[in-house]
Amino acid sequence: MSTCRTTCPYCGVGCGVAAEVDGDKLIAVSGDELHPANAGRLCVKGTTLAETLTSQGRLLHPVVYGERASWDSALDQVAHKLDAVRQAHGPGAIAFYLSGQLLTEDYYVANKLMKGFLGSANVDTNSRLCMSAAVAAYQRAFGADYVPCSYTDLEESDLVVMVGSNAAWTHPVIYQRMLESRKTAPHKQIVVIDPRSTASADAADLHLQIRQGSDGYLFAGLLHYLHAEGKLNTRYIGEHTDGFADALAGTAEMTPPVVAGMTGLALSQLEQFYLLFGNTEKVVTLYSQGINQSATGTDKCNMIINCHLATGRLGRPGMGPFSITGQPNAMGGREVGGLANQLAAHMGFDASDVARVETFWNAPDIAREPGLKAVDMFRAAESGDIRFLWIMATNPAVSLPDTAQVRRALGNCEFVVVSDCVGDTDTAAYADVLLPAMGWGERSGTVTNSERCMSRQRALVPAMGEARPDWWIVTQVARRLGFGHGFNYQHPVEIFTEHAQLSGFDNEGTRDFDISALSSLSEAEYEQMEPTYWPCPVAESVGKPVVDGRFYTAGGLAKFVAVAPELPCWAGDADGLLTLNTGRLRDQWHTMTRTGRVPKLMRHREFFSVSLSPEDALSHGLVESDLVEVRTGSASIMALVRVEDAVPQGQVFCPIHWSDQHSGNACVNGLIPSVTDPLSGQPQLKYARVALSPVAVAGWGLLLTRSLSELPNLAYWSRVPVSGGYLTFFAVADAADIIDVQRELLKPLLPRATRNSHYQDSGLGDFRDVGTVVDRLEYALYSNADRQRLPDREWLSAQLASSPLVDSVPLLAGLDPDTPSSGRLICTCWEVGEREIEQAVVAGAQSVECLGKTLRCGTQCGSCIPELKRMLLRAAV
Amino acid sequence: MRQKLIIVGAGMAAAYLLQELLEQEHPWQITLIGDEPDVCYNRVMLSGVLAGETADSDLQMLPARHLQQGMQLLANTRVRAVNTREQTVLTEGGELLCYDKLVFATGATVARPDLDVDGIEGVRVLRTLEDVRFLRNQCSNGRRAVVVGGGLLGLEAAHGLNAMGFATSVIHRQSYLMNRQLDAEGGLHLRDKMVQSGIRFYLGNSVSALHANDGALTSIDLQDGSELSCDLLVFATGIEPRTGLARDAGIACARGILVDEYLQTSAPNCFALGECSQLGSHCFGLVAPIKAQAIVLAAQLTGAAAPAFVLEDWPVQLKISGIEIFSAGNVESGGEQLVLHDKSAGIYRRLVLQGDRLVGAVLVGDKRDGIWYAQLIRNAADISRYRPGLMFGKAVSEAMQLSAIAA
Repeated sequence: MSTCRTTCPYCGVGCGVAAEVDGDKLIAVSGDELHPANAGRLCVKGTTLAETLTSQGRLLHPVVYGERASWDSALDQVAHKLDAVRQAHGPGAIAFYLSGQLLTEDYYVANKLMKGFLGSANVDTNSRLCMSAAVAAYQRAFGADYVPCSYTDLEESDLVVMVGSNAAWTHPVIYQRMLESRKTAPHKQIVVIDPRSTASADAADLHLQIRQGSDGYLFAGLLHYLHAEGKLNTRYIGEHTDGFADALAGTAEMTPPVVAGMTGLALSQLEQFYLLFGNTEKVVTLYSQGINQSATGTDKCNMIINCHLATGRLGRPGMGPFSITGQPNAMGGREVGGLANQLAAHMGFDASDVARVETFWNAPDIAREPGLKAVDMFRAAESGDIRFLWIMATNPAVSLPDTAQVRRALGNCEFVVVSDCVGDTDTAAYADVLLPAMGWGERSGTVTNSERCMSRQRALVPAMGEARPDWWIVTQVARRLGFGHGFNYQHPVEIFTEHAQLSGFDNEGTRDFDISALSSLSEAEYEQMEPTYWPCPVAESVGKPVVDGRFYTAGGLAKFVAVAPELPCWAGDADGLLTLNTGRLRDQWHTMTRTGRVPKLMRHREFFSVSLSPEDALSHGLVESDLVEVRTGSASIMALVRVEDAVPQGQVFCPIHWSDQHSGNACVNGLIPSVTDPLSGQPQLKYARVALSPVAVAGWGLLLTRSLSELPNLAYWSRVPVSGGYLTFFAVADAADIIDVQRELLKPLLPRATRNSHYQDSGLGDFRDVGTVVDRLEYALYSNADRQRLPDREWLSAQLASSPLVDSVPLLAGLDPDTPSSGRLICTCWEVGEREIEQAVVAGAQSVECLGKTLRCGTQCGSCIPELKRMLLRAAV
Repeated sequence: MRQKLIIVGAGMAAAYLLQELLEQEHPWQITLIGDEPDVCYNRVMLSGVLAGETADSDLQMLPARHLQQGMQLLANTRVRAVNTREQTVLTEGGELLCYDKLVFATGATVARPDLDVDGIEGVRVLRTLEDVRFLRNQCSNGRRAVVVGGGLLGLEAAHGLNAMGFATSVIHRQSYLMNRQLDAEGGLHLRDKMVQSGIRFYLGNSVSALHANDGALTSIDLQDGSELSCDLLVFATGIEPRTGLARDAGIACARGILVDEYLQTSAPNCFALGECSQLGSHCFGLVAPIKAQAIVLAAQLTGAAAPAFVLEDWPVQLKISGIEIFSAGNVESGGEQLVLHDKSAGIYRRLVLQGDRLVGAVLVGDKRDGIWYAQLIRNAADISRYRPGLMFGKAVSEAMQLSAIAA
């Protein structure tokens, strides 16, 4: 047994992970005590990483046109096609769509091949969907994509303003760090600005439940207020900034009453926030997708930055405008230039940058113009302008807006290559060539987190099947295209040091991204590399960006950006529609290609559902767990209803994670029109106007199977992994179809069992069928006109694992009176169920701490604490 | 001097009555007259003895000391006549016995179909220990036995013969087995289960003729025209109450000896119970009502406050060839059906509902909660709250109600 230090592949916090490895097996992971991001903490997603290293769904060998192929022939095919399309239609006809999942080395090589040697800047990334507005805003304000904060600022600040961020669920470790720091600094205030009453809002001192998309007014009004109340740092404005007068002039009408009107906030609440901000020196504004994923995302980010510039609250401990990213290596992608409007190493497309990179790479065919950003790239793929598209480590068929268009594009595009560690994504279904990439735990390289900390992801276990590192795959194609001289890499350290050399090349303090101190790492040093913050230039003399009041604009001054706030294509309530809001769930990640394989992580929220306010549920005649169609234009999704006080009236909240692999008709981004922010190209993924229609259901069902099974056409289905198999919840709309559905469901299952038990109460519409092989449960199907009469899911989910089976009658009954269910899982880390917690509360537990002592719930990652509090509150009422 | 009680017949009904009487102080000098060499044994278990699963001694229903000390026992003794005016019983041996009270427990005989079986060896019934002894002495190796009748007795006989090693077939007139207790699907389930042990079935068929060679049975013809070779033919085609003695004594009989709810016949001081008796239109063949009769009659005879015998819908509880069978209520009536089956495990359960009442239950292979169903049927209980879990028994139903309340 040995311990290997590596980095978590989930969110942008980038926690260090200590992995216990026994031979070829990853046994367990825990938080790395020595990593500055988490100092030993780990959230539930990270904690269950060992369970994600499964062969299930893995892409194990190259596939060409649906047939297994050798690496040689697959790479030949890709290189041949890439060359042929480029020769025939020019560099504009080829494109790479990359991912914040890639390691910096992978990113660097792909970017270098496309921009440097193939002459096209059509390299974009799923980071476009996540923080490109934040990048564009930093560039406008600072002249460089520089994040001027670190996690310790969150701890050292006296006020954290969380806007468009539900960090309690999406970035649990920094959220917990914030809360802990408040314990020793009781004056510390947390303000949450979110239209939903999220888990993050639970611990906030002030929750501003603003109208969706109205954040711009709030911050424009804040600048107005800071000026009106004399809270400006005029010295800082004078010495370090430019454009303040214009920016301020733009907010002239943003008086508190106007802002209150636009945001829907009470004037008193608004003034409370402004007063707090105005009077607190150490302020961090922490923002994420809620700000970025907007048609005016860049402007909103700049309005936030404006307020920090106007008060001089940046570049000092405990303060600053802090954009937190969603992905483990979104920052690394930004550093290598993985976005279509960047070239490399924080250089763009002005002539001097291009010439510098051309020289460094010795690449005369280098691209000289920005390429197509994500949404435009897929539009071009649909129209036929892009004919060769290589997608690495991401699932755009689910994650981009207007997924129907994306799928048409993937279908139309002449040649689609997908390299990924898994083969069962919605996107992989469109690939002409599938290339198996190494996944987390197999590959080796670096990632950069949201606070500019570069850490190593290390190989823990051997690669599965014929999987290879992404950098190797790209390199092999480059060599086949005759670019061997530029891609002669044998080891990721060679790539990393080249990347470091480029960052320092002809820099002399003119570019913020400089890691030239790492330019000559040996392989051994690279293997031992500790988490390292950038900038880390060779010459210490060049100083620190922002901190020393230095910016990268032409004049070296930070820029105020004069912008007018806007609401997202505001149509008022007159259309009778509701507003769609999207977001993440506590235990899920992206499109579930990783977390969706871990039973434990599916127990917090099992089946695909959307959340509605009690008022809207009532007015639509919907109750909890009803089936609803959410529709916009020709696109629609089918979901179960959750009625939540947390959701404001007029809004439908929908989680983003579900794909065709996990649910029928659940791709929420299909409802999102591809409206983008003109400055950053970031899609407005959190806004659509939608209609709700209740769907009458004649029959509900649960299907437990040991292995995946074909499903017939169903009004609704949603499938989760459980220990030893899968649990599918489904609905049949038409009573006339129920018997056929039952038959179709059973058809592939019956032959798998040696014994079938069956129960039917036609009067109640109750149908059950259980199949076993000797003493092992193979499948169980329950269908009932009344969903309340289906078996308890927690109990049912445990049945595949419980063996040997002596009696199938309790299974057919769907209930064993001797083993009651512990209820829905609340604490995923310690697997504590709702019923156990309720019983502990009844037995006298009156606080989260007390529950933690008796049941251990909430004592590890802490992300269930908001729910524990709600349960305690409910019990008290 | 003690008063005299004579019990004619020494089968199970007599045994139950004696069990009741001997448990308490009773004033009687009892004479028990049986026409078999064996008395007071458990006829229900005969097939087990045949199958070698039960020892002869396990059949005994009364402790030997009672038979030796507490009464006068006349085994192997047939009664020629009863005189109800003189209150006497005359045995075939010419002995005249006086009684103060007389109990008919004469049982039943196997009803044989109208077939010419005279002089053919190998045609039997399975009713007595003597029958078992005969069958046990037959060589079964490579020989074929046919049981006529697919009711309880026929299936028990078939099970025993099959276990002995006979290649065994069952011919049954109805389309499914145990048609008096089961429904069609239950009967088919039972057949499937018994087929697994090697027994063959000819349903919807009957015997039309027998063929013999040198007086030994060789084959039978079936109604459908086919011929079945066989060495042994066992009739299990239902029972007829034995009423001859009572009828000759002038006691009112219909199919059985007519009794009132105190088991009193039309003659003073004469009672009847068991398979020979008839109350209203009901004759009796199962253990439960006969046990109940014994309790009522024993109370009469001991002068205790005598309860009346009440006709109930006694559930049928059996075990055939290791398969548990339970049937209660009216399983043939229409109504909503709840059905559970597990073919390979030989489990079949059907509940019949009319409105919110359970009216019938058939359980094959798994009779758990049968008694609960019987109670629900007898009490005409409103089962609507139990319905979702009804099939799975009381514990599940109640747990489901709880979880429904919790939800």
